[in-house]
Amino acid sequence: MPANQVPKEATSVLDRYLKANARERQQSWQILFLFLIPAGLLGAAGVAHLEKTIETIANPRISLANLQGQVVVRGWDKSQVHATWVGLSPRVELDTEVLPHKGPAEKVHFSTHVLDPLVSGKDCAADYTLDVPVNSSLEIRSPQGSVQIEKLQGDASVESVGGTISVTDVAGHLSVRSVGGNIEIIRPSGRVEAYSITGNLHFVSPTSSKLRGSTTSGKITYEGDFAPGGDYTLSAYSGDMEILCPPSASFELNAKSVRGRLENAVAITPRRHAPSPPATGYSLLGTHNTGEATVELTSYSGTIRIRQQH
Amino acid sequence: MSPQKTAAPKAASETQLIARAQQGDEEAFAALFETHKRRVYSLCLRMTGNTAEAEDLTQEAFLQLFRKISTFRGESAFSTWLHRLVVNVVLMHLRKKGLQQVSLDELDTSQDEPVKRDYGDDDLRLMGSVDRIGLARAIRELPPGYRTVFVLHDIEGYEHNEIAEIMNCSVGNSKSQLHKARMKLREWLRDDRQRTQLDALTAPAGPPDER
Amino acid sequence: MAEERFGESAACWRFDAELPAYLEGEAAPQVTAHARECQFCEVVLADLEELRSASRALPREEPSRAVWANIRTALAAEGIIHEPVRAWQRWFGFLGVSHSPAPIGALAGLLILASMLLVPSKDLRRVGSIGGASEGARVAIASIGYPGQDSDLLRTVQDLEGSFQARRMSLEPSVKAIYEKSLESLNTSIRECTESVQREPANILAREYLLAAYTRKAEVLASALEFDAR
Repeated sequence: MPANQVPKEATSVLDRYLKANARERQQSWQILFLFLIPAGLLGAAGVAHLEKTIETIANPRISLANLQGQVVVRGWDKSQVHATWVGLSPRVELDTEVLPHKGPAEKVHFSTHVLDPLVSGKDCAADYTLDVPVNSSLEIRSPQGSVQIEKLQGDASVESVGGTISVTDVAGHLSVRSVGGNIEIIRPSGRVEAYSITGNLHFVSPTSSKLRGSTTSGKITYEGDFAPGGDYTLSAYSGDMEILCPPSASFELNAKSVRGRLENAVAITPRRHAPSPPATGYSLLGTHNTGEATVELTSYSGTIRIRQQH
Repeated sequence: MSPQKTAAPKAASETQLIARAQQGDEEAFAALFETHKRRVYSLCLRMTGNTAEAEDLTQEAFLQLFRKISTFRGESAFSTWLHRLVVNVVLMHLRKKGLQQVSLDELDTSQDEPVKRDYGDDDLRLMGSVDRIGLARAIRELPPGYRTVFVLHDIEGYEHNEIAEIMNCSVGNSKSQLHKARMKLREWLRDDRQRTQLDALTAPAGPPDER
Repeated sequence: MAEERFGESAACWRFDAELPAYLEGEAAPQVTAHARECQFCEVVLADLEELRSASRALPREEPSRAVWANIRTALAAEGIIHEPVRAWQRWFGFLGVSHSPAPIGALAGLLILASMLLVPSKDLRRVGSIGGASEGARVAIASIGYPGQDSDLLRTVQDLEGSFQARRMSLEPSVKAIYEKSLESLNTSIRECTESVQREPANILAREYLLAAYTRKAEVLASALEFDAR
């Protein structure tokens, strides 16, 4: 999927609502022109739309807790957080917490608060769009719905249950955890940890020097080079793993599998080692070019494929 | 180990499977595939060194076998018939790839090469240093004719009389080719070991490798 | 003599000539006798024996399932294989019952209803998870070799699983489905790794995977309970 394309399933709450009901559509356009009005006053009207602008220090800590819906976070060069929030149902509202209470904010927390404990499903949905200082550190918890993060120099942590997570051009320490969602990380330059149980992991053009990815039944795809001195560990249980690296890639490979196959199409100079190979399973130890980076690939029953990018 | 050294009940049930397969019974085909797939695939893999090619060749070999199964009359053991077909498929494939290769009827009958003897032989002793990956790579370096005999005998466990039947050559040829294959492998592994030792001696000093 | 120093004596040539037969298992006492006297020939013999044992130790490889799938498809397309007569069809054919699904379905329904009435109710209750503390899992996880940690981890997973089973129905259906699918995936990996570890205690990779699967299962269960608590 191209780096600048939002995953197809991440249609915004507003889009879904607008398509659903033509009569209410007219009301919603009126609502969109109302700014900074608490959601409770809009209860009778349906969709709530809020915008907030908060002055911050250059590297604030931003956290967000959503339940369902789309979250988009983009870094910009202003010392400000600009937030747009759209709630589908009158039964949810936006909570904002800013610390300190006066002066530029050091910490900003957004959360979707459910007013009615009996509400569930799409009625909990809210969409966020945040523009944050590029040096912000970010923490997002969004069980369902997609999360998209772009252009951040600070650290970022994302936790999800089922939604797709897409992160592009993040330079800080990136930690992404999902239960069933797919994870896509494009051009990270800081340390990366990505874990999913059934979701797929897709790494594109990392320049990170430390990268860890693990999934149980999802697939792992790594497209790109390995930084000299870098440490890359990818582990899949039953899903397949595909590594696509340029001909100039320089790494030492330690690939092991219990029952899965190892398919290697790059020139690896096998290592001679005194201990005998593992009693069971398959392994491939060796170097490609001068072995500058360390790449460890493990699988239980999935296939590990190493191929060259063209 | 010889594929013909099977227990009588197993041979009888294979006869039944073949009979059912000849009637188009899918389960019988599946059972025959299940029984022989590992041996066939291993053979293809050792000969090609490539899992994708080996799978393609395995598929092709079984398809040819199953298409012709109605013609099997039990003149030879089924596994011998199968493996002859597999060897044909593999050698045809290598021929198409343009590799220099030896046909089934043209095994080299030149004099045995003298054993290579070097001063300092003990240092290059293979004991404890032949690992699976190195050996597989060395096998791939063998000329196809040597490789076939070596794989069939030393890896797959066929006897020379069976190999002679599979490759349509004499028992003497099979024995001679096997010895040459072993000597070539030894030479290759020793050269590789020598290269590794030289690399170790000339590598820049650094912290010990703990992996 | 110089030529003996480099292993080129007549005895060495005889050794070379007898070596293939010796390796084939034929009697050749002069081979072993000469190897005891000649360092170079002894190395040749040792190398070939090492090569032979390494070759025999090469594992039998297994093709992927795609191979049979492709073969089957081709055979079916060429009309070489026919749909098998199912065992139940042969049985009902013997009874003289039609092969049509309708009467067979009705009979099957009656059999199922009868079994439900006869089987104790507790056996029909859905078992939420197979990843619980079976004896096999206990033994396998104990063999991982993390004294103390393994029993704590197992107990933690058991406790969390009990809580999850009690509260899972309160989760939103779409969320519950995600968690259950993930737990199913983890339970499969636990089961497979447990079997691997029991079969091959020396398989370190399988043991690592088993520990990782239990750890992840604990994390997923904790996440589910935390989600429920919100």
